[in-house]
Amino acid sequence: MNPVLVATSIAVRIGAKTLLDDVALSLGPGEVVALVGANGAGKSTLLRVLSGDLVPLAGSVRLNGRTLASYGPRALAGHRAVLSQSVSVAFPFTVAEIVRMGAGDGRGRRIDDLVEAALAEVDLGNFDERAITTLSGGEQQRAHFARVLVQLACGEATHGPGVLLLDEPTANLDLRHQLDVIAAAKSRAARGVTVVAILHDLNLAGLLAERIVVLNGGRIDSDGTPDQVITDAMLERVLGVADAVGRVPAEGTPFVLPHAARKLLPGKP
Amino acid sequence: MRVLVPPVLLVVLLLAAAVAATIGAAGIPFGRIAAAFGLAPGNPALVDRDWLVLWSIRLPRIALAIIIGGLLAACGAVMQGLFRNPLADPALVGVSSGAALAAAAMIVVGDRYLSSAGVTLPLEALPLAAFVGALASTMILYRIATREGRTSVAMFLLGGLAIAALANAGLGLLVFLADDRQLRDINFWMLGSLSGATWAKVGAIAPFLVALAFVLPFIARGLDLLVLGEMEAFHAGVSVERLKRTCVVLVAAAAGAAVSVSGVIGFVGLVVPHLLRLLIGPSHRLLLPTAALLGAALLVIADTFARTLAAPAELPIGIVTAVIGAPFFLYLLLRQRALLGP
Amino acid sequence: MGHTAMKTNIVQLSFVVVAVAWFGAPGSSGADNITVKDAAGRSIAISDPSRIVSVGGAVTEILYALGLESRVIAVDSTSLYPPRALAEKPGVGYMRQLSPEGVLGLGPSLVLAAEGSGPKGTIAVLEAASVPFVQIPDRFTGDGIVEKIRLIAQATGSVQRGECLVKLVEADLRALAALRARIEHPRKALFILSFMSGRPMVAGRATAADGIMTLAGASNAITEYDGYKLINDEAVIAARPDAILAMERASFRLDAQTVFDHPAFATTPAAAQRELISMEGLYLLGFGPRAARAARDLALALYPSIDASLRSELMPSERAPQDCRQ
Repeated sequence: MNPVLVATSIAVRIGAKTLLDDVALSLGPGEVVALVGANGAGKSTLLRVLSGDLVPLAGSVRLNGRTLASYGPRALAGHRAVLSQSVSVAFPFTVAEIVRMGAGDGRGRRIDDLVEAALAEVDLGNFDERAITTLSGGEQQRAHFARVLVQLACGEATHGPGVLLLDEPTANLDLRHQLDVIAAAKSRAARGVTVVAILHDLNLAGLLAERIVVLNGGRIDSDGTPDQVITDAMLERVLGVADAVGRVPAEGTPFVLPHAARKLLPGKP
Repeated sequence: MRVLVPPVLLVVLLLAAAVAATIGAAGIPFGRIAAAFGLAPGNPALVDRDWLVLWSIRLPRIALAIIIGGLLAACGAVMQGLFRNPLADPALVGVSSGAALAAAAMIVVGDRYLSSAGVTLPLEALPLAAFVGALASTMILYRIATREGRTSVAMFLLGGLAIAALANAGLGLLVFLADDRQLRDINFWMLGSLSGATWAKVGAIAPFLVALAFVLPFIARGLDLLVLGEMEAFHAGVSVERLKRTCVVLVAAAAGAAVSVSGVIGFVGLVVPHLLRLLIGPSHRLLLPTAALLGAALLVIADTFARTLAAPAELPIGIVTAVIGAPFFLYLLLRQRALLGP
Repeated sequence: MGHTAMKTNIVQLSFVVVAVAWFGAPGSSGADNITVKDAAGRSIAISDPSRIVSVGGAVTEILYALGLESRVIAVDSTSLYPPRALAEKPGVGYMRQLSPEGVLGLGPSLVLAAEGSGPKGTIAVLEAASVPFVQIPDRFTGDGIVEKIRLIAQATGSVQRGECLVKLVEADLRALAALRARIEHPRKALFILSFMSGRPMVAGRATAADGIMTLAGASNAITEYDGYKLINDEAVIAARPDAILAMERASFRLDAQTVFDHPAFATTPAAAQRELISMEGLYLLGFGPRAARAARDLALALYPSIDASLRSELMPSERAPQDCRQ
């Protein structure tokens, strides 16, 4: 399969600080990658390079064979959608208006349906007329996720499945909604969308992705399946913690396995 | 409900213009208005004179009010979208400072040096100088805030404050150097007035409104997405730098033109968009043209008061716009506050 | 209070009384002591009128007319007549923007300032200073001119020369009155102070322009307000002025073309003959010794139909160029 997103020899420096050094990544259609690492490892920076936001000092990124620079912003938006870590909205647009922004200039029944479906997927179906500024942090995040899903769908209609870049999509969410987001990402991947998600929670990373890329100090530490990558050695190296993998906690402290969770019927919004 | 607002405002505007056309110091009784427009029979001598007053004085003034009100309000809306701040107004781009400084310089320096050199300036020299000043200060500001092709909105804001402070200092110096007559001239220019309206002036600034109307749909979408932040807007497909550049140029030219013709008229650019956002929501596609309508109506009404309340003298129009708009705006804010709760 | 304490208090009080009497009393040198009442109603004692700071065009003009220019150590920027005044004397700046240090720093023994000098803060400081500060009233009438001359003459101890000048001015004013008597149909005039951007600033009542118009036998077309104000275009039409007055040396073109192209002025009676009368500012509005001549010039311009013989008649002050400088 032809790779969709290829990054080669990416280097990013700010002043004397090296944020990324010789990073290479190749992603095919339908592939789901979780990007993990310590704070400041360069995950967000890498995502910004992949989204075309940040121009690297060295190296290049090719999307569907063309360099990112060769796409105009509008064209790029048709091929890839990005969810940032936190988005603050300056004016009190309604949730529906915000989600609709994902469709750009699009109008009509089809867009309305997309918006409605996306809102349902993030469990904000009853929130469409609420001003987004009145929502909680987690609710706002879900609204933006819905917007990004709409953008992805619109681009898909024109260019086929694109790329979904997610920066900490589960950060402010409760477990139920975290699972919703993971499910949504996975369903897109099943349709051929390439997904790259920055996740802090290693368990969720394992749940979401078949491929985990670990960044450490601006370089790629490991790249492989969860089995291969999530090891005590890696955690020690990258996060400086020991003995955390696969052990049942002592003294009856409860732990939660997202893998084993089963979603109940739709609860309260 | 909010779809009704633009047509209602259009009706308000037309009504205000019609009423304004019947009011003035030259006293044309209502009955003679129709005759002046040739819609009813009347005494030819009176009809001629009435028509002269209407055509040469009142109508251009009303037209000027409509255009300038529309320009200022629309520019205010654009500024608030660009800076993602409901307290932004065209003055932030450095337009008012630059224009005021250039005008004052022209008044004082012109009088001092040029007149003794035997050079007299045409009347148009002052608005032209003001316009150039507005553009120049915006350009300087833009250069300060832009590095490697990226314009920092925060730098723009701070730079604008610095430029305003500098311009104020310059203005203070000119005020110090000015004599009586020059002082009055500067003062009245700064307070704004639509006096001396001619069709020539209307013709000079009408293109700016047309240009604005033409560009508005294109920037409305961008401004909506800009609400999410610059990075998000880029992700969603907006050419952010191009949008910023376009907005700055547009506002500099449009607001600059308005200010250079009428002097500084405050309040319209700041409060009209803000007020409308409370009524019809923040979507720029609706907000921008609606703001223009409301701004135009407001200025027509304000000018009608400005030229009649203290007749035969004129009140500075900026004062009238503030007195009309501020209490209403306060009322809306309080109502909004009550809705939001503690 | 104890007895001793009370006695000390009385002694202290006596010291204070004596001190005040000694320092507060007017100079006992007697002979050269002048007391005048100025425009602000203050009673001012002047012991030495030899070093004068002159503020105000008319004030300077009068001082020169009285031959007192050697006593003038500085003038303000509105002292435009005679032209050599500004050229040969140091300046203290614009009359309404004086600085106390600027004025007092020159070491004057007397400050003569036209009413309307400012800013208020500076005037307050100057009034309180030990140097006599006399505000010369500026009333826009023939009597006002005479009043100015008399006060300046009195303050400078040159009453005789003052009376000489007053005689000349009064003769001029009488001739002017005779001229006015020949006017059959008084005309209305409108004075434009500035025409910037096509916005006319026009004189109402209580202005020098209004005063000179009255002296010239014309009436001000605008009577509804005092001072100089921005006027509404339509009000100009309603006022129906027969002639437009302006000052020369306006930096923004104030020629007949500009004025009468303006829609408001284009329909005035003045527009019929494009009657724009331009005169030099201080001459027209200064209300100094030449004011009667200025009013005469204005009257002749306004009433071209006045008897030819009267037109070429000189005023007394022009006929016998007598001067009052001795």
